[in-house]
Amino acid sequence: MRFSMRQHRGGNRLIMNMTSMIDVTFLLLVYFMVSTVLASPEDRLTPTIRTQDESASGSNADFQPQIVDVLMVGGKPTYRLGQIDMTSVADLKARLSGLPVELGVFIRGGEGVSVGFTMAAIQAARDAGFDQVTYVPLD
Amino acid sequence: MRFSPKGKRERRLVVELTSMVDIVFLLIIFFMVTSDFARDARAEVDLPLLQGERAEQSEEAGLFINIDAEGNIILSTSESPVTVEQLADRLRKLVIQETTPKVTVRADRNASIIRFNEVIRALNESGVSSARIATEVPR
Repeated sequence: MRFSMRQHRGGNRLIMNMTSMIDVTFLLLVYFMVSTVLASPEDRLTPTIRTQDESASGSNADFQPQIVDVLMVGGKPTYRLGQIDMTSVADLKARLSGLPVELGVFIRGGEGVSVGFTMAAIQAARDAGFDQVTYVPLD
Repeated sequence: MRFSPKGKRERRLVVELTSMVDIVFLLIIFFMVTSDFARDARAEVDLPLLQGERAEQSEEAGLFINIDAEGNIILSTSESPVTVEQLADRLRKLVIQETTPKVTVRADRNASIIRFNEVIRALNESGVSSARIATEVPR
């Protein structure tokens, strides 16, 4: 004849009733699963903002400002640096890498281009090592 | 001493719940950490696919200005879009409340730069000299 283990060992076994806790826990789990939207990771660009009037006031300075115009040329979105037109952001980055970074760079976004294409110019300037990147909205 | 008759022995099913509770708690913690409770301020827009400045995201969120692909300016997903003038009013009030307000512009990458430029001008005229432009980190 075999007696129960508890009595056999002489110890008390504590049995917790976990049903309510599991109910609440599952409710929480379902709530978070339903309400959660897994958003894509975001970062940011932080250019200085200037208007055309403000940036024109600095034209009397000793240095020639380095300006990238983002505009439509022949129906194509284009980056214009001096007299050079580029349609690829990689080309722009390569050109910017050869410029002195201490002078900073102005990015001017004009009519017809998209936000994505213009922001890529700011990113290219940052990647080329420019700390001072100023965005100027064109009229 | 009480002996249980062989035919009527009480069988009690004990289910070990410890592992399950562990996993459920881990899931709850995961969903709590990844939940974004500030989604009301972030409209669904396709941000420019750029690395950004790889900045730490622990800073104060501030005001979010969303620009969707159609050029609507959305300050909160629970409110209707605002005009540039309404945005300028809001920004002026914000500048009075905070000396250096944190503003994040979340513009759709396909949105026209014209509306983006209007928002940038409104920021500049309100005294906000720098804004964060949100990007989506490419996977």
